[in-house]
Amino acid sequence: MKKTKLGEFEELVLMTVVVLQAEAYGVEIKRELEDRLKEKLSVGSIQSALKRMEEKGFLTSEFGEATQKRGGKRKRIYSATPYAHRVLEEMKDIRTQLWSAMPNIATS
Amino acid sequence: MEEIEGDMEEVFAENLAEYSVKKSRRLYNREVLKLLRPALVRGLGGNHQLNYLGMLQHNLLITLRGFKRHKATFLINLIGLSTGLAAALLIFLWVNDERSVDTFNEKNDRLYWVFTNFTLPESVLTWDYTSGKLAQAIKEEFPEVEDAVRVGNHFFRPQGTISHSEKNFEVNGLFASPNFFQVMTYPLISGTTERIIQDKNSVAISESLAITVFGTVENAVGNTIDWESSLLNQPFVVSGVFKDPPKNATEQFNIVVNYQALIDAEEWAEDWKGGYARTYLLLKEGADAEQLNQKIARLMYGKTDNNKQALFIKPYAKNYLYGAYENGIQVGGRIENVRLFTVIAIFILLIACINFMNLSTAQASKKMKEVGVKKAIGANRRDLVFQFLGESILLSLLALLVAIGLVVLLLPQFNEITSKQLEFNLSDFILPLLAIVMSTGILAGSYPAFYLSGFKPVAVLKGKVANLRGEEWIRKGLVVVQFTLSIIFIIGVITINKQIEYTYSKPLGYDRENIITFTRKGPESFDPTPFLTELRVLPGVTSVGNMSGDFLWGNDNSSGYSWEEGDVDDNHLFKSPRIGYNIVETLGLKLVAGRSFSKEMNDDESKIMLNETAVKFMGLKDPIGFQLEASPDDFKEVIGVISDFQYGSLHQEIEPMLFRFRSSGDDFIVRLQPGTEVNTLEKIKTIYAKFNPKYDFEPSFLEDDYRALYSTEDKVAQLSNYMAGIAILISCLGLFGLVTFTAERRSKEIGIRKILGASQVVVVKLLTATFTKTVLISIVLAIPIGYYFSNEWLHNFAYSIELKWWFFALAGISALLIAWLTVGFQTLKSAKVNPVDCLKNE
Repeated sequence: MKKTKLGEFEELVLMTVVVLQAEAYGVEIKRELEDRLKEKLSVGSIQSALKRMEEKGFLTSEFGEATQKRGGKRKRIYSATPYAHRVLEEMKDIRTQLWSAMPNIATS
Repeated sequence: MEEIEGDMEEVFAENLAEYSVKKSRRLYNREVLKLLRPALVRGLGGNHQLNYLGMLQHNLLITLRGFKRHKATFLINLIGLSTGLAAALLIFLWVNDERSVDTFNEKNDRLYWVFTNFTLPESVLTWDYTSGKLAQAIKEEFPEVEDAVRVGNHFFRPQGTISHSEKNFEVNGLFASPNFFQVMTYPLISGTTERIIQDKNSVAISESLAITVFGTVENAVGNTIDWESSLLNQPFVVSGVFKDPPKNATEQFNIVVNYQALIDAEEWAEDWKGGYARTYLLLKEGADAEQLNQKIARLMYGKTDNNKQALFIKPYAKNYLYGAYENGIQVGGRIENVRLFTVIAIFILLIACINFMNLSTAQASKKMKEVGVKKAIGANRRDLVFQFLGESILLSLLALLVAIGLVVLLLPQFNEITSKQLEFNLSDFILPLLAIVMSTGILAGSYPAFYLSGFKPVAVLKGKVANLRGEEWIRKGLVVVQFTLSIIFIIGVITINKQIEYTYSKPLGYDRENIITFTRKGPESFDPTPFLTELRVLPGVTSVGNMSGDFLWGNDNSSGYSWEEGDVDDNHLFKSPRIGYNIVETLGLKLVAGRSFSKEMNDDESKIMLNETAVKFMGLKDPIGFQLEASPDDFKEVIGVISDFQYGSLHQEIEPMLFRFRSSGDDFIVRLQPGTEVNTLEKIKTIYAKFNPKYDFEPSFLEDDYRALYSTEDKVAQLSNYMAGIAILISCLGLFGLVTFTAERRSKEIGIRKILGASQVVVVKLLTATFTKTVLISIVLAIPIGYYFSNEWLHNFAYSIELKWWFFALAGISALLIAWLTVGFQTLKSAKVNPVDCLKNE
């Protein structure tokens, strides 16, 4: 966890990328997250999170095909790096450990 | 950011399906605003800088591509400027070193040296020495003098050997007053300046001598040495150790003893009539040296009975560069060489800079299309100025780097030629160097920067370029300057080399081959007769003789002779060496009349010989047997007349000479049988060691000693040869670059001419003619200037060659030939070119 510095929103976006697989590009991620979080997101917030994570080495990207709907502009398909997978695993482990260590106050 | 745009489009399309167009637009705009975040947008301010940096990168790229594309021009430019810079830099190192000589004293600005102008009937002699009593007297009589030092002058230096625990070491000493170390800056390692040579039985020795004799500095102090020389023979206590005199000090010594020791040996050292001491004065802060100079002038009049000695003072450090006098007036000295080489360095630098400018401007005019295109795209003038200036500055900085590398590489060889130990300290020179290089760069770049950038793009692109005539004139003018300087150099080199050759080959009136000389060192009381007898019988020795003083230096003078009745005080100063038997025969001097000193006739000091000039000077009709009055009632009989020969170096004219007799001279001259030199020298050495066990045998060939008299001229000749070579090389590089450029420019003209039937010869003539004209103009300009300078230099010699017309013809023709050779290659290339190749592009 030390060097990774993965923010909460970033983690969500990253997991969405993993979930969406080949369909992981800007608007699709936005749509998926909007569905799950039940709130409106801006294009900018998603894009900046993607760029930042790409710089940090969690994501790689390549251009996909262009569609009519996009005014002839190509999509940028993101995919998670093995490093990102490892960090996600780690975070999940830490969370489960914390959950199991928690006294049953909330549930009882 | 294609993907973001795409995303926006997609979202917009979605929104459009859901909401009205208006709302979709509004949403779209809001989204766009939200996109403005640091992660997605780079700072606006940064954008501007990026452009700036980009332009710089672009300019650099264009420059480097330009270098790559025009490799020849680039290399010529680089080599020309860097060799010029390197040569100038080396010379400036040398000049700097010459100027630094003797300036090491801390109180240098207040340190003065007292000189004497000694008046003779027809001339004035300038001595750098005075009476030994003068220092004390000046200190007492003139309040502005803080302190005065006396040291034994160069005739009275204690040398010989010191011995310590059975080992002998040769030393080079100095007699000095006790305050010597307080006034002059020779830092002490051990001992105090006030005490070090207070009494006459203590000495101070140099660090290196202390280490060779005692191993360490600490062991030296307090120890005793035995010192034996022609002036002293007694034990001394080492009272202190000083650092070796710096290498830019003219006075070099490794042992110092109290001046009192000289007085003990020679009472005249403490007499107003003796000239035994050099006197150095330390003036008080703010004292007026000029005023003191006037007050001091007549000081000696009262101390001696006559008014012949006028004193004057001169800054201590000045004597090295301004050490030559004629009739009591300062006429130059080493400063002349310093000036000569400063001028040469400036000339070379000038040639190199002109070259650089010429080629850069020529190159730049090829860039007119580039200027046009750039301007059409929207580059403003400032950017173009910046680009062109940057390019030439970059090139000149590169040249500077190469030049520094060259200097570091060549410095050892240069030191060998100049016999100096120069060091290259970049930090001392970097600022002036940068200034020179930057200004050359800016000057060379300013033509394209300010002139070309002013063109109208349309005109340039259409090929309607304004008339470039003026530019060509400037360029040709610069070439003329370059070649004029080079031809002056060639004339100078021919003159210098011819004169040196002349001095070596001129018959001097005596033999120089197979003759060795050596000086016996050691105690005064020595009878040379048995030594000479043993030498004479050696199989390899043809002849041997002895005299007083070095034959080549020719500085033994005497005066006070009279040869007409009633004329008692004719004070002509005669060159008057004191020679023993056999000298005339050994040196191969020719007798015109009479005989030379001979043992068989029992000749002694009552006899004298003259040279032809002396006979003429005195107006003697029948010299043999003439009684010359040396001093009242002391007559010397003339027994022989020697044919005139060159006494001393060719800087001196042949003067009236008297040959006095002296049987006990310490300078031996031996003529060897050719072919047996090594063997015989070995034998002489053994005999020398037998008679003079404590001293080394140091023979030298007269021929070599004679050459050594001209070492300064030799160095000047060598250096100027190199410098002239460099100057010519740079000029030729420039010419080559220019002809390449011209040929390229006129390639269409040449093509058309060839198609119309011009032969190769016509084309070559066409291209060569213009350059021939420029070189011819240079020749016309250079000849009078070269004549003037060569003549000035030759005036330094009493016997010199005459400037012949063919020196100038040779210089001119060689310049022309060199120019043709340089140009020829390129002209032939363009003459041979297939006209189709140069005409097909339009």
